[in-house]
Amino acid sequence: MPAAGLLVVLAFATACAHTPVEEFFRLTAESAAQRAAETRMFEAASERELLSASAAVLQDLGFQVVESVREVGFLRAAKERSAREYSQEIWRWVLFTFSTIGLASGSNTLILLPVDLQQQIDASLVARPLDAAGSRHEVRVLFYRIVWKSDGASGNQSIPPGEQRMETIRDPRIYQLFFAKLSKAVFLEAHKI
Amino acid sequence: MRRATSVCYPLLLAAGILLSACASPPTPPENLLAPDAEQAAAREMQTRSFDVADRTQAMRGVIAALQDLGFIIERANEPLGLVTAARFAEPSYQDMVGITVTVQPEDSDKMRIRANVIYNNKPITDPKIYQNFFATLERSIFVGRN
Repeated sequence: MPAAGLLVVLAFATACAHTPVEEFFRLTAESAAQRAAETRMFEAASERELLSASAAVLQDLGFQVVESVREVGFLRAAKERSAREYSQEIWRWVLFTFSTIGLASGSNTLILLPVDLQQQIDASLVARPLDAAGSRHEVRVLFYRIVWKSDGASGNQSIPPGEQRMETIRDPRIYQLFFAKLSKAVFLEAHKI
Repeated sequence: MRRATSVCYPLLLAAGILLSACASPPTPPENLLAPDAEQAAAREMQTRSFDVADRTQAMRGVIAALQDLGFIIERANEPLGLVTAARFAEPSYQDMVGITVTVQPEDSDKMRIRANVIYNNKPITDPKIYQNFFATLERSIFVGRN
Protein backbone atom coordinates (compact mmCIF):
# COMPACT_ATOMS: atom_id res chain seq x y z
CA MET A 1 0.00 0.00 0.00
CA PRO A 2 2.75 2.58 0.79
CA ALA A 3 4.34 1.75 -2.57
CA ALA A 4 1.05 2.35 -4.38
CA GLY A 5 0.64 5.61 -2.45
CA LEU A 6 4.13 6.72 -3.45
CA LEU A 7 3.36 5.96 -7.10
CA VAL A 8 0.15 8.02 -6.92
CA VAL A 9 2.06 10.97 -5.39
CA LEU A 10 4.75 10.70 -8.10
CA ALA A 11 2.14 10.49 -10.86
CA PHE A 12 0.36 13.53 -9.39
CA ALA A 13 3.61 15.50 -9.18
CA THR A 14 4.40 14.65 -12.82
CA ALA A 15 0.88 15.59 -13.91
CA CYS A 16 1.24 18.98 -12.21
CA ALA A 17 4.47 19.82 -14.08
CA HIS A 18 2.75 21.47 -17.05
CA THR A 19 3.97 24.41 -19.08
CA PRO A 20 1.27 26.70 -20.55
CA VAL A 21 0.94 26.04 -24.31
CA GLU A 22 1.61 29.70 -25.22
CA GLU A 23 5.14 29.33 -23.81
CA PHE A 24 5.97 26.82 -26.55
CA PHE A 25 5.50 29.52 -29.18
CA ARG A 26 7.76 32.09 -27.60
CA LEU A 27 11.52 32.27 -28.16
CA THR A 28 13.45 31.85 -24.93
CA ALA A 29 16.99 32.63 -23.82
CA GLU A 30 17.84 28.96 -24.44
CA SER A 31 16.61 29.06 -28.06
CA ALA A 32 19.82 30.68 -29.35
CA ALA A 33 22.06 28.23 -27.45
CA GLN A 34 20.07 25.25 -28.76
CA ARG A 35 20.23 26.62 -32.26
CA ALA A 36 24.02 26.98 -32.00
CA ALA A 37 24.41 23.39 -30.74
CA GLU A 38 22.21 21.96 -33.49
CA THR A 39 23.58 24.01 -36.40
CA ARG A 40 26.79 24.03 -38.48
CA MET A 41 27.80 25.84 -41.65
CA PHE A 42 29.24 24.00 -44.61
CA GLU A 43 30.80 24.92 -47.93
CA ALA A 44 29.25 22.74 -50.62
CA ALA A 45 28.73 23.12 -54.35
CA SER A 46 24.98 22.61 -54.03
CA GLU A 47 22.28 21.87 -51.52
CA ARG A 48 21.67 18.58 -53.29
CA GLU A 49 25.28 17.55 -52.60
CA LEU A 50 24.94 18.51 -48.94
CA LEU A 51 21.68 16.58 -48.53
CA SER A 52 23.23 13.57 -50.22
CA ALA A 53 26.20 13.71 -47.81
CA SER A 54 23.80 14.10 -44.84
CA ALA A 55 21.81 11.04 -45.92
CA ALA A 56 25.07 9.08 -46.27
CA VAL A 57 26.13 10.01 -42.69
CA LEU A 58 22.74 9.05 -41.28
CA GLN A 59 23.01 5.71 -43.11
CA ASP A 60 26.52 5.22 -41.68
CA LEU A 61 25.04 5.77 -38.21
CA GLY A 62 22.46 3.03 -38.84
CA PHE A 63 19.48 5.26 -39.61
CA GLN A 64 16.86 4.58 -42.26
CA VAL A 65 15.77 7.69 -44.17
CA VAL A 66 11.96 7.81 -43.82
CA GLU A 67 11.17 11.23 -45.31
CA SER A 68 12.97 13.50 -47.77
CA VAL A 69 11.91 16.75 -49.44
CA ARG A 70 14.70 18.12 -51.62
CA GLU A 71 12.94 21.44 -52.39
CA VAL A 72 13.13 22.58 -48.76
CA GLY A 73 16.27 20.59 -47.86
CA PHE A 74 14.54 18.27 -45.39
CA LEU A 75 15.48 14.75 -44.28
CA ARG A 76 14.04 12.60 -41.50
CA ALA A 77 15.56 9.30 -40.44
CA ALA A 78 14.92 6.72 -37.73
CA LYS A 79 16.49 3.66 -36.13
CA GLU A 80 15.41 1.23 -33.40
CA ARG A 81 17.75 0.01 -30.71
CA SER A 82 17.66 -1.62 -27.28
CA ALA A 83 17.23 0.88 -24.44
CA ARG A 84 18.32 -1.42 -21.62
CA GLU A 85 20.65 0.15 -19.07
CA TYR A 86 22.56 -1.67 -16.33
CA SER A 87 21.78 0.96 -13.69
CA GLN A 88 18.01 0.60 -14.21
CA GLU A 89 18.22 -3.23 -14.15
CA ILE A 90 20.26 -3.13 -10.91
CA TRP A 91 17.73 -0.77 -9.27
CA ARG A 92 14.86 -2.95 -10.42
CA TRP A 93 16.34 -6.04 -8.79
CA VAL A 94 17.55 -4.28 -5.61
CA LEU A 95 14.05 -2.86 -4.98
CA PHE A 96 12.44 -6.17 -5.91
CA THR A 97 14.68 -8.06 -3.44
CA PHE A 98 13.95 -5.61 -0.59
CA SER A 99 10.22 -5.67 -1.33
CA THR A 100 10.13 -9.50 -1.27
CA ILE A 101 11.74 -9.38 2.19
CA GLY A 102 8.83 -7.19 3.28
CA LEU A 103 6.46 -9.60 1.54
CA ALA A 104 7.84 -12.49 3.61
CA SER A 105 7.09 -10.53 6.79
CA GLY A 106 3.45 -10.25 5.75
CA SER A 107 3.17 -6.71 4.32
CA ASN A 108 2.09 -6.23 0.71
CA THR A 109 4.97 -4.12 -0.59
CA LEU A 110 6.05 -5.84 -3.81
CA ILE A 111 7.79 -3.33 -6.10
CA LEU A 112 8.97 -4.24 -9.60
CA LEU A 113 10.11 -1.06 -11.34
CA PRO A 114 9.40 -0.84 -15.09
CA VAL A 115 12.69 -0.35 -17.00
CA ASP A 116 13.49 1.01 -20.47
CA LEU A 117 13.29 -1.80 -23.04
CA GLN A 118 13.31 -0.51 -26.61
CA GLN A 119 13.89 2.90 -28.20
CA GLN A 120 13.40 4.57 -31.55
CA ILE A 121 15.96 7.29 -32.24
CA ASP A 122 14.91 9.87 -34.84
CA ALA A 123 16.84 12.59 -36.64
CA SER A 124 15.16 15.58 -38.27
CA LEU A 125 17.58 17.50 -40.54
CA VAL A 126 17.12 20.71 -42.53
CA ALA A 127 19.69 22.25 -44.90
CA ARG A 128 19.32 25.77 -46.25
CA PRO A 129 21.49 28.04 -48.41
CA LEU A 130 23.04 31.09 -46.76
CA ASP A 131 24.06 33.05 -49.84
CA ALA A 132 22.68 33.71 -53.31
CA ALA A 133 25.56 31.86 -54.97
CA GLY A 134 24.51 28.71 -53.12
CA SER A 135 27.97 27.72 -51.93
CA ARG A 136 27.47 28.33 -48.19
CA HIS A 137 24.86 26.28 -46.40
CA GLU A 138 23.54 25.76 -42.90
CA VAL A 139 22.58 22.33 -41.58
CA ARG A 140 20.39 22.04 -38.50
CA VAL A 141 19.71 18.63 -37.03
CA LEU A 142 17.64 17.51 -34.06
CA PHE A 143 17.86 14.08 -32.47
CA TYR A 144 15.08 12.73 -30.28
CA ARG A 145 13.96 9.35 -29.03
CA ILE A 146 10.86 7.41 -28.05
CA VAL A 147 11.41 4.85 -25.28
CA TRP A 148 9.13 1.92 -24.49
CA LYS A 149 9.10 0.56 -20.94
CA SER A 150 8.87 -3.01 -19.65
CA ASP A 151 6.20 -4.32 -17.29
CA GLY A 152 6.31 -3.88 -13.53
CA ALA A 153 4.31 -4.21 -10.35
CA SER A 154 3.38 -2.18 -7.30
CA GLY A 155 1.77 -4.13 -4.47
CA ASN A 156 -1.13 -6.06 -5.96
CA GLN A 157 -1.26 -3.89 -9.06
CA SER A 158 0.64 -4.99 -12.14
CA ILE A 159 1.94 -2.34 -14.54
CA PRO A 160 1.50 -3.45 -18.18
CA PRO A 161 4.47 -3.12 -20.60
CA GLY A 162 4.57 -0.61 -23.44
CA GLU A 163 4.40 2.73 -21.61
CA GLN A 164 6.00 5.41 -23.82
CA ARG A 165 8.37 8.25 -22.97
CA MET A 166 9.64 10.76 -25.49
CA GLU A 167 12.62 13.05 -25.11
CA THR A 168 14.81 15.37 -27.12
CA ILE A 169 18.49 14.40 -27.13
CA ARG A 170 20.47 17.37 -25.87
CA ASP A 171 23.91 15.79 -25.32
CA PRO A 172 26.28 18.11 -27.29
CA ARG A 173 28.71 15.22 -27.96
CA ILE A 174 26.09 13.50 -30.15
CA TYR A 175 25.77 16.64 -32.29
CA GLN A 176 29.55 17.18 -32.43
CA LEU A 177 30.04 13.59 -33.57
CA PHE A 178 27.37 13.93 -36.25
CA PHE A 179 28.77 17.19 -37.61
CA ALA A 180 32.34 15.84 -37.61
CA LYS A 181 31.14 12.91 -39.73
CA LEU A 182 29.12 15.23 -41.98
CA SER A 183 32.14 17.47 -42.50
CA LYS A 184 34.12 14.45 -43.75
CA ALA A 185 31.22 13.27 -45.91
CA VAL A 186 30.85 16.70 -47.54
CA PHE A 187 34.56 16.62 -48.40
CA LEU A 188 34.29 13.10 -49.82
CA GLU A 189 31.15 14.03 -51.79
CA ALA A 190 32.85 17.13 -53.24
CA HIS A 191 35.85 15.12 -54.39
CA LYS A 192 33.75 12.12 -55.48
CA ILE A 193 35.78 9.80 -53.25
CA MET B 1 -36.67 -8.24 -0.84
CA ARG B 2 -32.95 -8.08 -1.65
CA ARG B 3 -33.27 -11.10 -3.95
CA ALA B 4 -36.17 -9.43 -5.84
CA THR B 5 -34.08 -6.27 -6.36
CA SER B 6 -31.05 -8.24 -7.56
CA VAL B 7 -33.25 -10.01 -10.17
CA CYS B 8 -35.01 -6.78 -11.25
CA TYR B 9 -31.84 -4.81 -12.05
CA PRO B 10 -30.49 -7.14 -14.79
CA LEU B 11 -34.00 -7.38 -16.27
CA LEU B 12 -34.36 -3.60 -16.35
CA LEU B 13 -30.87 -3.29 -17.91
CA ALA B 14 -31.72 -5.87 -20.59
CA ALA B 15 -35.03 -4.10 -21.33
CA GLY B 16 -33.18 -0.77 -21.61
CA ILE B 17 -30.63 -2.24 -24.04
CA LEU B 18 -33.40 -3.81 -26.16
CA LEU B 19 -35.35 -0.53 -26.27
CA SER B 20 -32.31 1.51 -27.24
CA ALA B 21 -31.46 -1.02 -29.97
CA CYS B 22 -34.98 -0.69 -31.42
CA ALA B 23 -34.95 3.14 -31.38
CA SER B 24 -33.98 4.79 -34.69
CA PRO B 25 -30.43 6.21 -34.78
CA PRO B 26 -30.18 9.97 -34.09
CA THR B 27 -30.15 11.99 -37.29
CA PRO B 28 -27.22 14.41 -37.67
CA PRO B 29 -28.18 18.08 -37.68
CA GLU B 30 -28.60 19.58 -41.15
CA ASN B 31 -26.05 22.29 -40.50
CA LEU B 32 -23.36 19.79 -39.40
CA LEU B 33 -20.85 20.85 -42.06
CA ALA B 34 -22.16 24.37 -42.65
CA PRO B 35 -19.63 27.15 -41.99
CA ASP B 36 -20.36 29.21 -38.89
CA ALA B 37 -19.06 32.45 -37.40
CA GLU B 38 -16.72 30.57 -35.07
CA GLN B 39 -14.97 28.89 -37.99
CA ALA B 40 -14.47 32.22 -39.75
CA ALA B 41 -13.02 33.74 -36.56
CA ALA B 42 -10.70 30.75 -36.08
CA ARG B 43 -9.48 31.02 -39.68
CA GLU B 44 -8.77 34.71 -39.27
CA MET B 45 -6.85 34.09 -36.05
CA GLN B 46 -4.82 31.28 -37.64
CA THR B 47 -3.98 33.14 -40.86
CA ARG B 48 -1.49 35.90 -41.61
CA SER B 49 -0.15 37.41 -44.87
CA PHE B 50 3.57 37.88 -45.44
CA ASP B 51 5.44 39.86 -48.08
CA VAL B 52 7.24 36.93 -49.66
CA ALA B 53 7.03 36.20 -53.37
CA ASP B 54 8.54 32.73 -53.37
CA ARG B 55 6.62 29.88 -51.69
CA THR B 56 9.75 27.77 -51.09
CA GLN B 57 11.37 30.72 -49.31
CA ALA B 58 8.27 31.13 -47.15
CA MET B 59 8.30 27.41 -46.33
CA ARG B 60 11.96 27.61 -45.37
CA GLY B 61 11.04 30.50 -43.06
CA VAL B 62 8.27 28.40 -41.48
CA ILE B 63 10.64 25.47 -40.97
CA ALA B 64 13.34 27.69 -39.43
CA ALA B 65 10.80 29.35 -37.09
CA LEU B 66 9.48 25.98 -35.93
CA GLN B 67 13.03 24.71 -35.35
CA ASP B 68 13.84 27.83 -33.32
CA LEU B 69 10.76 27.10 -31.19
CA GLY B 70 12.09 23.60 -30.52
CA PHE B 71 9.68 21.75 -32.81
CA ILE B 72 10.62 18.58 -34.65
CA ILE B 73 9.82 18.82 -38.34
CA GLU B 74 7.88 15.66 -39.16
CA ARG B 75 6.68 16.24 -42.70
CA ALA B 76 6.98 18.78 -45.46
CA ASN B 77 5.32 18.86 -48.86
CA GLU B 78 6.62 21.56 -51.17
CA PRO B 79 4.00 21.29 -53.96
CA LEU B 80 1.20 21.67 -51.38
CA GLY B 81 3.08 24.16 -49.18
CA LEU B 82 2.55 21.98 -46.11
CA VAL B 83 4.72 21.64 -42.99
CA THR B 84 3.84 19.40 -40.02
CA ALA B 85 5.80 19.56 -36.79
CA ALA B 86 5.49 18.51 -33.15
CA ARG B 87 7.28 18.89 -29.85
CA PHE B 88 7.12 17.36 -26.42
CA ALA B 89 5.46 19.60 -23.85
CA GLU B 90 8.62 19.56 -21.71
CA PRO B 91 9.05 19.01 -18.78
CA SER B 92 6.13 16.63 -19.29
CA TYR B 93 7.15 13.97 -21.82
CA GLN B 94 3.64 12.51 -22.01
CA ASP B 95 2.05 15.56 -23.66
CA MET B 96 2.50 16.68 -27.25
CA VAL B 97 2.06 19.99 -29.06
CA GLY B 98 1.44 19.59 -32.79
CA ILE B 99 1.27 22.19 -35.54
CA THR B 100 0.34 22.10 -39.23
CA VAL B 101 1.27 25.10 -41.36
CA THR B 102 0.06 25.71 -44.91
CA VAL B 103 1.65 28.25 -47.25
CA GLN B 104 -0.54 29.45 -50.13
CA PRO B 105 0.13 32.20 -52.69
CA GLU B 106 -2.20 35.14 -52.07
CA ASP B 107 -0.86 37.68 -54.52
CA SER B 108 2.11 37.91 -56.83
CA ASP B 109 4.30 39.10 -53.93
CA LYS B 110 2.36 37.80 -50.91
CA MET B 111 1.91 34.46 -49.17
CA ARG B 112 -0.98 33.51 -46.95
CA ILE B 113 0.24 31.34 -44.05
CA ARG B 114 -2.19 29.40 -41.87
CA ALA B 115 -1.26 27.51 -38.71
CA ASN B 116 -3.31 24.98 -36.74
CA VAL B 117 -2.09 24.09 -33.26
CA ILE B 118 -3.20 21.06 -31.28
CA TYR B 119 -2.31 20.09 -27.71
CA ASN B 120 -2.79 16.38 -27.02
CA ASN B 121 -5.01 16.19 -30.13
CA LYS B 122 -7.22 19.05 -28.86
CA PRO B 123 -7.41 22.18 -31.08
CA ILE B 124 -5.98 25.34 -29.52
CA THR B 125 -8.15 28.45 -29.83
CA ASP B 126 -6.13 30.94 -27.77
CA PRO B 127 -5.23 33.86 -30.13
CA LYS B 128 -2.12 34.65 -28.05
CA ILE B 129 -0.51 31.38 -29.18
CA TYR B 130 -0.98 32.22 -32.85
CA GLN B 131 0.28 35.78 -32.28
CA ASN B 132 3.45 34.40 -30.67
CA PHE B 133 3.97 31.97 -33.54
CA PHE B 134 3.49 34.61 -36.25
CA ALA B 135 5.87 36.99 -34.41
CA THR B 136 8.58 34.28 -34.49
CA LEU B 137 7.76 33.51 -38.13
CA GLU B 138 8.01 37.16 -39.13
CA ARG B 139 11.45 37.36 -37.56
CA SER B 140 12.52 34.13 -39.26
CA ILE B 141 11.33 35.29 -42.71
CA PHE B 142 13.09 38.63 -42.20
CA VAL B 143 16.37 36.89 -41.27
CA GLY B 144 16.02 34.52 -44.25
CA ARG B 145 15.45 37.43 -46.64
CA ASN B 146 18.50 39.31 -45.39
